[in-house]
Amino acid sequence: MEPGLLVPAGRGGLRVFLRNRLNVLMAVRVTVIIVLVAACLLTPGFLSEPNIMALLTTVSFIGCVAVGMTLITISGNIMSFCLGATAGATAMVFVVALNWGGIGVGLVAALSLAALLNAAQGLVIGWVRANPIIVSIATLALIYGVAQMFAGSSAVYARPGTGYEIFKGKIVGVPIEFVVFLCVAALGHFILSYTRLGRNLYMIGSSFRAAEAAGLKTWRSIAGAYLWAGIFTGLAGILLAIRYNLGNMDFGLGYDYDAVAAVLVGGTAIGGGQGSVLRTVAGAMVIAIVQALLLLLGFRQEWQYLFTGVIVLAVIILHTSGERR
Amino acid sequence: MVLKKFLRNDPHARPLLILAACIVLLAVADWGEGRFLSATTPFSMLQIFANGGMVALGLGLSMMIREFDLSVVGIFAATGCVAVLTGEANPWLGIGYALAIGLAAGVIQGVIIVRFALGSVGVTLGGLLIFVGVAYVLTESRTVPYENLPVALFVNRPLAGIFSLRSLICVVVFAAAAVVVGFTRVGRDLIAIGSDRRAAVIVGVNVNAFIIGVFAFSGFCAALSGALLSYSLASATPQGLSDVIVPAAAGAILGGVSLGGGTGRPLGIATGVLILAALRSGLNALGAPPFVNDIAMGAVLLTVAILDGPYLMRRLGRIAPRPRAGS
Repeated sequence: MEPGLLVPAGRGGLRVFLRNRLNVLMAVRVTVIIVLVAACLLTPGFLSEPNIMALLTTVSFIGCVAVGMTLITISGNIMSFCLGATAGATAMVFVVALNWGGIGVGLVAALSLAALLNAAQGLVIGWVRANPIIVSIATLALIYGVAQMFAGSSAVYARPGTGYEIFKGKIVGVPIEFVVFLCVAALGHFILSYTRLGRNLYMIGSSFRAAEAAGLKTWRSIAGAYLWAGIFTGLAGILLAIRYNLGNMDFGLGYDYDAVAAVLVGGTAIGGGQGSVLRTVAGAMVIAIVQALLLLLGFRQEWQYLFTGVIVLAVIILHTSGERR
Repeated sequence: MVLKKFLRNDPHARPLLILAACIVLLAVADWGEGRFLSATTPFSMLQIFANGGMVALGLGLSMMIREFDLSVVGIFAATGCVAVLTGEANPWLGIGYALAIGLAAGVIQGVIIVRFALGSVGVTLGGLLIFVGVAYVLTESRTVPYENLPVALFVNRPLAGIFSLRSLICVVVFAAAAVVVGFTRVGRDLIAIGSDRRAAVIVGVNVNAFIIGVFAFSGFCAALSGALLSYSLASATPQGLSDVIVPAAAGAILGGVSLGGGTGRPLGIATGVLILAALRSGLNALGAPPFVNDIAMGAVLLTVAILDGPYLMRRLGRIAPRPRAGS
């Protein structure tokens, strides 16, 4: 029972209101949004076109990975440490295949690699219930090792005139990366909210044993979640390769942490079973806006990590206190 | 069959078996040319052991009580930078600051976890990001040199043939942890908390104090090894997140700690880290390119993760039914 309900309304209104955790959450959320909007409006240069374009582009790369991470988190598998490496590897494979056989081959090869890499992890995790964190750390080491074997530590450069340039530029004034991100978010939301896979993932995340008892083939859903996470991350890798005309393992550095930060700031529960893609999109936007504001206010780039960490910690304390696991 | 039973049923024997297998494999690969089985290998093995051993110990202890301290990676990087920046004139001061920060970080995170009843992955992820941020802010994203070269040399000077000051400190910390966990009530309480927290509360274990204590110890270990490594490299850099978390988690897991909690021993973790150190120094000695080490580490870790999968036997049983043993 909510403690607020025991007290007659009207007496000590504010204190009663604040005693309910959900009310506090809502109040904090509204305050944060108001403060952010005010800061955006008041900071000179924030609404300039270059800043908005840069903001939309950066949020797109992280956002695609974060949508994939959301599926993994909701399915109860906490996070994957190898999505960043997946993005880097996809970018390299995309560029190599692009140089060899053109844009079509590049897209197919890159996306199937990303999908396979992660679906294989999902299978291992779902089928023998291997620990998701350890499996992703092992895959991270494997990906970096194999990438170094083939490419050393250098980048591969895209040959001009292979047809990838059509994916540069803008659609009705919006960077193409952002359009792809919106599509990824819509697809992720559709999967989670309107398909059987999505409902199964929520169920597995909130109670694995109940899902087993209900007769779900849990390994199939978990593999599905990783498959889609791989595809979304692969798209981010391809976008990075197209933007910078090269593929490089460094692309993925830190994306895992940024992505899971976006997931958590959005309010998706780290333990699984709750959350949504829309929340993750909001989380990614909040982080990106705060980082852009910091840059405009003259903080060096290094402060971004620190502030992201503080935001993540604050959101986790606010959101999940009192409901351990 | 016997081998499989050995692999499955005795978590304390398995790390030793893997270590022996690694050494035999490397010796065979060396084929009597004396590159691996030489007098310098133990020294270089212990040096690598000292790089990330204590981080693995802290992480492993947190896994034993069914938590996961991600922040060790950030504390490791941040305290390394702090030690180099403040310990130029007086290295003790740098170490002191580093240890104080590590301890404080652990205590604060532990208190947050206990006080707000939060999961440790989320909280320590926040801690990780904050400390990585601290490292970047302090160093302004550069590699900071440590000009006090005598200290750097002193930390790495060979002692008694196979040790250096750095690896000796690491061995001593491991030995102390092994004695405390193995021979005092603390060890049994840790296992109890990891196996069944509610039962531990009921029998009167002060679970909250243990959680805070383990996170404090883990922060302390990360800070000590971060500071010592920066001194010995005579530089500190905020980068290299995955360079720390992969071997630390791998060492703990190889050492027989399970993420389900309730199993593991400091000596097991030491063996796990030694396995990785043997792999790396052996492959170096054989002149293998660096990526071989990554691939070998990933493959070993993946294999252990699959062998540890709680459903493995059930799945195998479905393919080839056989009488169930134990479970």
